[in-house]
Amino acid sequence: MRFVRIAFASIALAAAGATIAAALPKDKALQVMKVRHDGMHSIADALKAIHRGLGATPDLPTVRANSAKLVQLSRAGSYWFPAGTGPEVGKTRAKAEIWQNPEDFASKFRNFQGAVRAFDAAARGNDVAAMNARFADLDGTCKACHDKYRGPEEH
Amino acid sequence: MPRQISRTGGTLIAPERGEQLVWDLPVRLVHWLLATLIAFSWWSVHHHHTDWHIWSGCAILTLLIFRFLWGFFGSSTARWASFVRGPRTIHAYLRGRWVGIGHNPLGALSILALFLAVAVQVGLGLIAQDEDGIYLGPLARLVSSDTSDKARDIHELWFNVILALIVIHLGAIIVYHLRGKHLIKPMITGRTAVESGVEPMHPGRWWVALICLAIAFGIVRWVIAGAPPFGS
Repeated sequence: MRFVRIAFASIALAAAGATIAAALPKDKALQVMKVRHDGMHSIADALKAIHRGLGATPDLPTVRANSAKLVQLSRAGSYWFPAGTGPEVGKTRAKAEIWQNPEDFASKFRNFQGAVRAFDAAARGNDVAAMNARFADLDGTCKACHDKYRGPEEH
Repeated sequence: MPRQISRTGGTLIAPERGEQLVWDLPVRLVHWLLATLIAFSWWSVHHHHTDWHIWSGCAILTLLIFRFLWGFFGSSTARWASFVRGPRTIHAYLRGRWVGIGHNPLGALSILALFLAVAVQVGLGLIAQDEDGIYLGPLARLVSSDTSDKARDIHELWFNVILALIVIHLGAIIVYHLRGKHLIKPMITGRTAVESGVEPMHPGRWWVALICLAIAFGIVRWVIAGAPPFGS
């Protein structure tokens, strides 16, 4: 499954963390950007599955399975934005502002990770109203970053 | 004055003479609200207000349903049967052999195309989801996630069709203006100069408009709830 590959790829990236922090050769940077791109798509797929699963007749097994994926992906995401993987290197919707405001970006990303954990805690229970409330919080943390740090979709 | 292109090169009958009602209030309100909401829909989605965009789409759906019904039960110039004509009438109009009030046979095609294009756009929006899975159209759960993604892609592209029709619509207004026929003021005041001998507009009834509006609200409320037995 794609998300497992992304999780492993992210761990591999983390292992190489020291070298990444020092200087990022272009091929490594492009590799990170590819993992990030696929990871973001997997997050979107998980969110779509969860959102659909929270309909009038909730599909809780689907919600829980995708919530577990989301937890892994959001953790892996800590390694997706090293310096030197911005639009100056290659095609990406990640804006240069991310690396101009690293603290703000990191804090927003932690908010996202926290919201994912909070949703996952709700998803383990049976209170669908609570899941919907945590899902709305989670959406807010996605949007907070995207509005500021993501460029427009290109066709 | 009949609704045809003036062939006398810009001379216009003084509007005070023989001014009559051509567009009733519901038609004018629908027109200007639709123009405003289409612009707002474009603006909101480009400024990260997807929730406003969806509500705007629901409002447009209400207008479309109302206008569809008013096209059967409304004033004579609002009725589909009164202005949607065949090629023969359009040909006659182009040769200057058409006299009437309301949409001319050629303009009717443009109106019909615009109405259908906006209806398609709303339909796509209802089943679409945003790229992040944060926003679902009210009926998106009735189709698969892939279908919703495709609907969003087409929804984005289809806007170009609407834009093209708006350009044609505005272009036609300019062409008529240059030829001495002013179309904007009648769409505001509802009145236009009409030549004697032209059958006047038969106004619809206000309570029929209210019933059409109530039906439109009811259907849209049902759609917002997620349709069939209130969601899936």
